[in-house]
Amino acid sequence: MSDDTKRSKPSEKMIELRLPSKLGYERVAMDAAASLASRMGFETDRVSALKTAVSEAVTNAIEHGNQHDEAMKVVVLLTVRGDELIVSVTDQGHKTIDEAYVSRVPQISEAMKRDDKGGWGIWLIQELMDEVEFTTAPSGGNQVRMVIHLER
Amino acid sequence: MHNGQTSIELIFPSILGYEVVARRVVATFADFVGFDQARIDDLKTAVGEACINAIEHGNQLQPDLPVYITSSYDGHRFAVDVSDTGTNPLAIIKEPKTIEEKLAGAASLRGMGMMLMAALADEFIVEPSAAPGNTVRLIWYQREVAHT
Amino acid sequence: MLEDELRVSTRVIGNIAVIDLVGDVTTFAEAKINAAYQEMSQNGAQQILLNFRQNDYINSAGIAILIGIVTEVTRNDQKLAFSGLSPHFQKIFRMVGLSQYAKIYQDEQEALTDLQDAATA
Repeated sequence: MSDDTKRSKPSEKMIELRLPSKLGYERVAMDAAASLASRMGFETDRVSALKTAVSEAVTNAIEHGNQHDEAMKVVVLLTVRGDELIVSVTDQGHKTIDEAYVSRVPQISEAMKRDDKGGWGIWLIQELMDEVEFTTAPSGGNQVRMVIHLER
Repeated sequence: MHNGQTSIELIFPSILGYEVVARRVVATFADFVGFDQARIDDLKTAVGEACINAIEHGNQLQPDLPVYITSSYDGHRFAVDVSDTGTNPLAIIKEPKTIEEKLAGAASLRGMGMMLMAALADEFIVEPSAAPGNTVRLIWYQREVAHT
Repeated sequence: MLEDELRVSTRVIGNIAVIDLVGDVTTFAEAKINAAYQEMSQNGAQQILLNFRQNDYINSAGIAILIGIVTEVTRNDQKLAFSGLSPHFQKIFRMVGLSQYAKIYQDEQEALTDLQDAATA
């Protein structure tokens, strides 16, 4: 009804999603982000990229940050600000992200020599999103902040 | 697989269109815990109506007022609580009006949402909560054997 | 539910062992995919096609499983190919480098035609 919004910035809209730390629930976050991004007018390939990035961030939070403790929550904040969608994923921080992972470029030839062939998640997020930031949330958990811009 | 209760929470602004995100979130959760497609379709429609009620009536389309959804599953019972923060109570429709009555002008064109929720959910409860705001609770039970 | 998100089946067409992966390829897919690969290898498969369908969700854990298959295929001197991936996952597979070890085809038919031609050439 009223055009003026009193508290938040006029152009900013926020959706908050809280999920249990159980593998599989990342799907709920992927679909929420995809649904919002489609409404904003993102192309299919960008929505797919966003889904993959969100799944990796939430999976990391479940597996590493919250160590599969189902009672711990993963908080996903989706903020629409003008032509950008900001997704932040926060865990309750049992274990912090290793700095080395953030700057590392994994190589498949090296992965083939290792028993653990994983470690692609953080790199994928950085490759797929326009801006990525790894920080510690005020609550002490790990926070990944990802931004994707709508190109017109 | 599902021992104990699992729940997800969603908070979104009172802007029409955001109910689409809410529908999708709850549908993905229901799919994940094993509901079939027909039930998920029922659930999406009912949840969408509950959200629209919360946005339009409870929160009077004020974007700043949040709509809260808590959805939980305990292995048998799937519940979706949709709460608004508004002061405008949702009318409780004891006997859903029919489309014929509505078209004949005998009943308000509004209220179709309530009718749909009542028809699609196994249980449908409207709680004008003590604090400002209303809660609509929609419940579905996991069916072990297919209904005919 | 979770464990049922992926259905894996195998078939042989000419001299190509086809492994159909219908659904999501995540950490839960590991046992199924590895079992299908082992089965085909033990039957003497030289050319293996991983045919993806309805793969709306492949994550980094799934990619790690596929790198495991690539490792085995290289060790056993077999040939591996992928088909049926969405454009998004074709891109991801190229980014990760899986395409260096296995050719990516648009669909099953294109893969079968090309692999059979290569084998008879």
